[in-house]
Amino acid sequence: MAKPIEKVMSAPDAVSKFVNDGDNLIIGNYTVGTCMELVFEILRQGKKGFTLYSQSGILDVELLVAAGAVERLVTTYVMRSGGRNGGSAVERALQDGSLQMEDYTNFNYNARLMAGMHGFSFMQVFEGIMVTDLFKKRGFLGEDKYRIIKCPYTGKDVVTVPAANPDVCIVHVQRADKFGNAQYWGAIGSVPAAALASKKIIITCEEIVDTEIIRSSPHHTIIPAFRADAVIEVPWGAHPTEVVGHYNQDKLMYGLFVTAAAGRESLEEWMDEWIFSCQDRQAYIDHYVERFGSDWLQKLVAKPLYSAPANYGSAFHSTWDENGKDRGTGLTMEEIENLLEERGLLHG
Amino acid sequence: MAKKYTLNELLIIAVAREINNYDNVILGVGLPTTAGALAKALHAPQANLMMEAGMIDFEPLIPPNHIADAMACKGYACATDLFTAFTTTYRGFVDICFLGVGQIDKFGNLNTTSIGDYYKPDLRLPGSGGAADFISYSKRTVLTMRGGEFVEELEYFTSPGYLGGGDERDRCGLFPEGSGPTKLITQKGIFAFDPATKEMVLVEMHPGITVKDIQKDVPWELKISENLSATQPPSDEEIDFIRKFAPAAAMGRELATEVAFANLFKVLEARGKI
Repeated sequence: MAKPIEKVMSAPDAVSKFVNDGDNLIIGNYTVGTCMELVFEILRQGKKGFTLYSQSGILDVELLVAAGAVERLVTTYVMRSGGRNGGSAVERALQDGSLQMEDYTNFNYNARLMAGMHGFSFMQVFEGIMVTDLFKKRGFLGEDKYRIIKCPYTGKDVVTVPAANPDVCIVHVQRADKFGNAQYWGAIGSVPAAALASKKIIITCEEIVDTEIIRSSPHHTIIPAFRADAVIEVPWGAHPTEVVGHYNQDKLMYGLFVTAAAGRESLEEWMDEWIFSCQDRQAYIDHYVERFGSDWLQKLVAKPLYSAPANYGSAFHSTWDENGKDRGTGLTMEEIENLLEERGLLHG
Repeated sequence: MAKKYTLNELLIIAVAREINNYDNVILGVGLPTTAGALAKALHAPQANLMMEAGMIDFEPLIPPNHIADAMACKGYACATDLFTAFTTTYRGFVDICFLGVGQIDKFGNLNTTSIGDYYKPDLRLPGSGGAADFISYSKRTVLTMRGGEFVEELEYFTSPGYLGGGDERDRCGLFPEGSGPTKLITQKGIFAFDPATKEMVLVEMHPGITVKDIQKDVPWELKISENLSATQPPSDEEIDFIRKFAPAAAMGRELATEVAFANLFKVLEARGKI
């Protein structure tokens, strides 16, 4: 079914419409510029029962797991908030048996998305993995975590991972248009693959821009409009993580989070203050400014550093030359129509 | 008189010396990044520094917060994706990569995943990330250890070193011939791997450290090189570069975090915000 042309909506509407309990949910961002406001909104709405995919977990995964929203986690790396001695929400959930986890390497995880993105049922991965416990110790995917096939060309054993096509991807980008063309730059990571492998895509962006801007720089577009389901303009939508060209990582908020995340109760307090007591990102930012002053926030704002524009020019912009003749045949419109009549090619 | 140095600085400099001019280098976050910047500034100006998030040939501007920190680059020559960063490694284009150590055994196999029962861990470490893929297919891998431990047997086998030792890694046919960990650099010394047995061998000791100091961390009888030498102390130029580029790296994570937190809370307190 065709999607509506314009996809601009609020975060609460997008989450309530496109995120369901029990979904395979994927965090599109990788370590940087993560979709914090969408994570917060999912938690505010109490959505749960997810199988969560994350290339590399930071606050996003910690919060979803701490809230008990995740039953199964597929990832390669998790944040250990409290350092070696402190704990993490993931560690606590594994210990109390409320979370199952499937460990992959960065490449193996990404390969599952690449297969899903391109419509294949599996992807070949590097054979060295066979000697490791990543290959030998299976979680909830069991036999389907990795399977070995014989390469029909070389006869060698080839290790494969199954395709992943998550139900919904949440992702934050720098800019998008109202139709859902989403542009992202900086560390590419697995961001395009995570989005395009998914069945539905919810996009937050620092700014919604005119389509002309998108069309003048198409190489930055990672999600074409026809694949997008929702577009939400959320300035500071990735805070306290960073967004290239917009703001740096906020070490103050990171510090508060990391300190809180070492314990279950302190993390709940942090979540109450910053997620559940703030109805949206504007309220969160207002609360931040109220607590720490607006200059703390302003210190994070990026100074502009533009890439050199790429020249997309061509010799002409019309098939008709300055004398009104078609460049290929050298004929005017009148001459073309006469020719068509002469040759008996016109009907009706 | 030569400048005094911290053990972190000594470690960073030892890592930087492993980078040759024109090497294609994959850098992990933290100490290797500072080492990469140092190498590029002082002895390997044409080294191609890369991060797995897809930044190829970057010029370090400030120490990155993580392996996807494009804002820490002064610019980079190519923005590719993570998939391509790893297939580039698989195809043999990466000369050297650096990995941190949680647990290590005598043949350089690594655990960065969990301590205790994997399914209900006592300690859940970060996981593989890119480690298992990089040490498998990079031509050389240099291991760095701060706070990790030597063990007889890993509690989880995350990343392959020389497997059971000898020629097992080459023989199994899963890895490029001759690949594997080349050095282990700790805050006490530098280890290489014996060409025949592939067991780790102490080759250099940092100034002021004794063999006994090192042996007490290692649960097996440590092999010691006949040519055991003292680690060359850092030059003033190297120390100056590190302190200027990454003062926090010179201090080490623990002290830097302590001071940074104290600084943040002091400012907040002064504003009456805590």
